[in-house]
Amino acid sequence: MKKQFIAIVVSMLLISPVFAAGTHYEMRVDGLACPFCAFGIEKKLKAIEGSSDISVDLNKGLVKVNMAEGQTLTEEQMTTLFNDAGFTYRSMKTTSLEK
Amino acid sequence: MIGIQFKGFVAVTTSLLVGLISSPAFAHDPIFGIGPHVLFKDGIELAAEVESKKTGNVNSQALVFDFKYGITGDWAVGFDLPYSFKDNGTNSSSGNGDVAVFTKYRFWRKDSLGLQDSAAVLLKVITDTAASNENPSLNKGTTDTILGLTYGSEGRKWYRWASARYRFNGTNNAGVDRGDKILLDFVGGIRPTPTNYMEPDTVWLLELNGEYGQRAEFGGAEQVNSGGSEWFISPGIFWTKRNFAIKAGIQIPIYSNLNGTQQESDYRAKATFEWHM
Repeated sequence: MKKQFIAIVVSMLLISPVFAAGTHYEMRVDGLACPFCAFGIEKKLKAIEGSSDISVDLNKGLVKVNMAEGQTLTEEQMTTLFNDAGFTYRSMKTTSLEK
Repeated sequence: MIGIQFKGFVAVTTSLLVGLISSPAFAHDPIFGIGPHVLFKDGIELAAEVESKKTGNVNSQALVFDFKYGITGDWAVGFDLPYSFKDNGTNSSSGNGDVAVFTKYRFWRKDSLGLQDSAAVLLKVITDTAASNENPSLNKGTTDTILGLTYGSEGRKWYRWASARYRFNGTNNAGVDRGDKILLDFVGGIRPTPTNYMEPDTVWLLELNGEYGQRAEFGGAEQVNSGGSEWFISPGIFWTKRNFAIKAGIQIPIYSNLNGTQQESDYRAKATFEWHM
């Protein structure tokens, strides 16, 4: 009985990342030339609930962000967000953070 | 008659010397010229600027607090609060300078990978709020308005800008029509090492700034010792990290054709610290 209980607990711990998983977004953005100007993007993405690990690759025109499970980003939302930040949103790729 | 001429000369000279022609510094815009940069929507920029100018025996300095707000991603408004110092070799004075309010609208933007081409219009009103009872005077005695048009191309490595401003100088309290001014700027910049977001970033600039001033008028008569043109070559630097920026530059006169007897510019310098929130 004790062994079964330990096995259940271990199993739950091992599969717990699946429940904590979210989505990784990689967005193509045009107009990104200077590091100083990208701050508005970071600020606006940070203001979205569930966002984390924001990064900007100026050379590739990529903005990356992780969203917590249950939180999503839409094309329309990103078009507005990047326009408000002074840039042009082109497209996005999503990847599940589940392992 | 001589008294009127002398009064006019003093008034014209004072007016011209008071006007440290400052342009609102926007992020990666030229130091002395203007550029099409604005702020992100709901963004706030706080800046502290130090300006220094020497013209003959007159030294002028100003400390300027600058505030900007992004109404949209393409439209910003702001104001300047200057505190001025002046020394003419005999007397010195200090006090509040002229408060200025401004707005800039980026009406065209073309974005591609690592490149942003854009154009904007600028409107700036320099009020008449400077201390008026100082010697030498800090007060120009009227409200001036500046209209500007600017184009900029910002890449990962190279920058270029071109802009034109028309400054409508008002008629001051002494009755002097100070003559309008046209300002032209051509600027190139290079980022030797294209750094990424969050990394310290340096951009070197070289500006060519031209100014043409109409003759002032007093009592319907053109003032001989007023107006003319000056050109400057102006090296400068941006240094930024995330949401902080330091910008500095110096204007060195390379050509001067001032009417009559006027003191030529020796130099103008500017340093700015900016914080985006």
